[in-house]
Amino acid sequence: MQYALLIYQQESVLGSGPDSPALRAIVAKHMAFSRDLGAQRVGGSGLKPTSSATTVRTTGKSKVVHDGPFAETHEQLGGFYIIEAPDLDTAIAIAKNVPLTSDGAIEIRPLLGPTT
Amino acid sequence: MTTSTLDRIARAAGVRVIAALAARYRNLDIAEEAFAEACARAVKAWPERGEPADPVAWLYRTADRFVLDTIRRERTRERLKLEAPVCPPTAEDVMVEDEELIPDERLKLIFVCCHPALASEARVALTLRLVCGLSTAEIAQAFLVSEPTMAQRLVRAKRKIADAGVPFEIPGRDAWQERLDSVLTTLEVAYGSAHADAAGAGSHAGYAVEILDLTRVLTELLPEEPEGLALAALVRYAEARRPARLDELGAMVPVSEQEPSLWRRPLIEAAEYYLQRAAELHPSGPRSLQAAIHSAWCGRRSIADPPPWATVLKLYDALLNVRDDAIVRLNRAVAVAEVVSPRAALDEVEGLDRSSLASFAPYHAVRADLLARVGHVADARAAYDAVLALSPPPAERLWLERKRAALMK
Repeated sequence: MQYALLIYQQESVLGSGPDSPALRAIVAKHMAFSRDLGAQRVGGSGLKPTSSATTVRTTGKSKVVHDGPFAETHEQLGGFYIIEAPDLDTAIAIAKNVPLTSDGAIEIRPLLGPTT
Repeated sequence: MTTSTLDRIARAAGVRVIAALAARYRNLDIAEEAFAEACARAVKAWPERGEPADPVAWLYRTADRFVLDTIRRERTRERLKLEAPVCPPTAEDVMVEDEELIPDERLKLIFVCCHPALASEARVALTLRLVCGLSTAEIAQAFLVSEPTMAQRLVRAKRKIADAGVPFEIPGRDAWQERLDSVLTTLEVAYGSAHADAAGAGSHAGYAVEILDLTRVLTELLPEEPEGLALAALVRYAEARRPARLDELGAMVPVSEQEPSLWRRPLIEAAEYYLQRAAELHPSGPRSLQAAIHSAWCGRRSIADPPPWATVLKLYDALLNVRDDAIVRLNRAVAVAEVVSPRAALDEVEGLDRSSLASFAPYHAVRADLLARVGHVADARAAYDAVLALSPPPAERLWLERKRAALMK
């Protein structure tokens, strides 16, 4: 099965700008984590901060473009992995090792496969 | 053969058959459906051809054949999402009239039903349905919801298991503690709702027996897990005291006022046996300590024996070291009131987070009692009103109303 691991934490802890030490540190950790995952990693990426987000909201027939993420939340989606794992327990074990800068959450979502 | 013979066999063996099928085909729905089909076929076949030598093996083979036929019929895997079995049945499987051929996959089934990825009320319901063999109607009644609501909840839980890829495996070492704890907590919650009503008249009480049995099975499957053994002890101590939990007017009797001669000694002896094994493995596990508190009470032979408050307080102190939460502190305060003073106990209780305990009936009941004992009658009355407003079961209500009425005007 394939799972998406969606990484949520407060993006403010990463400081501002691409040169912030916190950002550099977490990127290095993700590189190492990706290496360890090897072939289990199918894809994934970090995301630029929500200040760069644009949302297209559909309501009935109207489609309106908004500045910002789809919802203002305490923690923000900051990146994701797509992994290959035989079952949820394996995905949970991998999710527990996803690097975080501080407190946060990893949401595990099975991908819609060809058989479902 | 009567229908009740089949009922008895199905109830006793259903878990093993369903667990084996579910582990083999990695699909709970098909396992349940196949077992129901096998029972339906037994109703027709057994009276005609006579009851088979090994009825359980017959049910298993018939159910297994039903699944294989279903897979064969369903050409497209999309519709059933079935995988071929890990090891296909051999010719001997079909020949052998022997219950031994059914692999014991109950532990896998328990771990699946109690997976932390399921909502906790769904875990309890699913365990009662699949592991204890209760009907959807019985579980619905126990949880005070309609049968369609409970059926929906069970369907959703099973869909989550299939969609999220919850494995039919015994968890690995790194996840063991978390997963085992999820199992034990689920059983605690299930027993807790069976035990909550002192009168035992509530529909919950009916399945307390199933939980006793399930904790026994768990200790057989995991003989070296102290917390599992301690849980088996805990539910036996609690169940042993059931006959003494009501007075002649139907009001609840607190443990310290129960007549020990009414307690069921064989259950207490069984509990002592489990607790002893648990304590040898890990004497300071939270459930071992809770069981030891029950053991202290159950050591009383007569109401004339002095109550073991000092021992109970020591055990609560030890419990606080491993499980420091408001409920442990509240229970400890009851012992503090007896060993130290009601004033000291009240200070402890007033230090607890009131908002998180607002809907927890024992909090108000303990507080009311302590307030009354230090002479704050008006506050005590208000606390009794608060607990009565939480609509306790009839036996508790009667006891609380009596305590409230006894307050000095």
